[in-house]
Amino acid sequence: MILFQQVEKHYGDFHVLKAINLQVEQGEVVVVVGPSGSGKSTLLRCINRLETISSGDLTVNSQKVNDKKTNINKLRRDIGMVFQHFNLYPHKKVIDNITLAPMKVLGQTKQEAEKTAMYYLDKVGIADKAGQYPSQLSGGQQQRVAIARGLAMKPQVMLFDEPTSALDPEMVGEVLDVMKALANEGMTMVVVTHEMGFAREVADRVVFMDKGQIIEEAAPVEFFSNPREERARLFLNRVLNH
Amino acid sequence: MPDFSILIEYFDFYIEGFVNTIYASILALLGSFLLGTVIAVFRITTVKPLRWLGTVYVEFIRNIPLLLIVYLFYLVLPMLGITLNGFISGTIGLTVYTAAFIAETIRAGIMSVPKGQSEAALSSGLTYVQTMRYVILPQAIKIVIPPLSNQFINLVKNSSVLSVIAGLDLMYFGDRVAGKTYATFDTYIFVAVFYLVLTLPLSYAALILERRLAKHS
Repeated sequence: MILFQQVEKHYGDFHVLKAINLQVEQGEVVVVVGPSGSGKSTLLRCINRLETISSGDLTVNSQKVNDKKTNINKLRRDIGMVFQHFNLYPHKKVIDNITLAPMKVLGQTKQEAEKTAMYYLDKVGIADKAGQYPSQLSGGQQQRVAIARGLAMKPQVMLFDEPTSALDPEMVGEVLDVMKALANEGMTMVVVTHEMGFAREVADRVVFMDKGQIIEEAAPVEFFSNPREERARLFLNRVLNH
Repeated sequence: MPDFSILIEYFDFYIEGFVNTIYASILALLGSFLLGTVIAVFRITTVKPLRWLGTVYVEFIRNIPLLLIVYLFYLVLPMLGITLNGFISGTIGLTVYTAAFIAETIRAGIMSVPKGQSEAALSSGLTYVQTMRYVILPQAIKIVIPPLSNQFINLVKNSSVLSVIAGLDLMYFGDRVAGKTYATFDTYIFVAVFYLVLTLPLSYAALILERRLAKHS
């Protein structure tokens, strides 16, 4: 469903992504890990063209993401995204944050959109916050709203860009629980995270990146117990033994 | 003490000018706000020709005296067969001029909305225009209300330029009253008072708005 073939990206002189080959199948949960600055987030942001690639091929549902003929707005409907800093719209109530895109992009009526919004708010456990503004919610609650906002578009894949990195430690769990439930329901997910526990428990596949390259790709059991690459071993030593 | 008999005797003149100044200000305010918003969006879009157009507009218009722009509409357009009266050409000139400053103010407001906001909107499938309309501009407007109210106060004062091209505004009638009475000081004192009647409430409203917005953020 998502296919990177020899994808390269440069920011000026900086070579951010090097010869990326990666495939994500429908229903798969792929977790991308690696040190800061390794290109994980950039890789993720290329999938819905928040970043453009310099060369190579990147397709989502067999459509070329960077082709001029591709209607990117249409493609983005099917790709939900959750950000590190939630990026909720502060001037809109929780419910209006969720209904905006379904109404304006999918042409749903207000009633339809609100019904869907309440369904997903209930699902992430904060239906009672529908009438509040994002600033009245805790970080964990805001991130759950952001997940509900993504789901309301009924996307085929959800992208998570370090969804728990900006949260206080006691709120990480509630967001991860929502993500786990989502994975168990068969949602296709690509997750950039530093939560190794989540990767181990939920991922179908772990992708380890360093300095713009994919160094290792393996099932979580394999990756965590017996990493093939030296750099992956060093990384795991640093993040797991402290 | 200024001579109040002037005010009483020429009250109709003052009021007609005052009302026309209000009309010109409101029209130019609405016009320059709309035009300025469009130009601000042009200046930040990725579409190069629009960007270029927006930049040329702002750089040319704000670096030319207002009076020259008003002359352009009053004196140059008739040569091309389009004749406008002083009030209309003055109001258009004022609109065009103020729009350049408003565009810069709004652009600054748009730039101060965090990038994550447009990323979230775009990634949900909203178009660029929808993203601007529903997500970015409502937030930018809040930020720019204080500097924007300054521009509007300037606009009211700048409307006095209409007097030069027989725009029938407050300053124009002030000049006429001064011409009749020769009491320039007294005449213009009352003109100033009429301007203050317009601008002081604007200043005060801006202050209240600013305080209210500060409370919410």
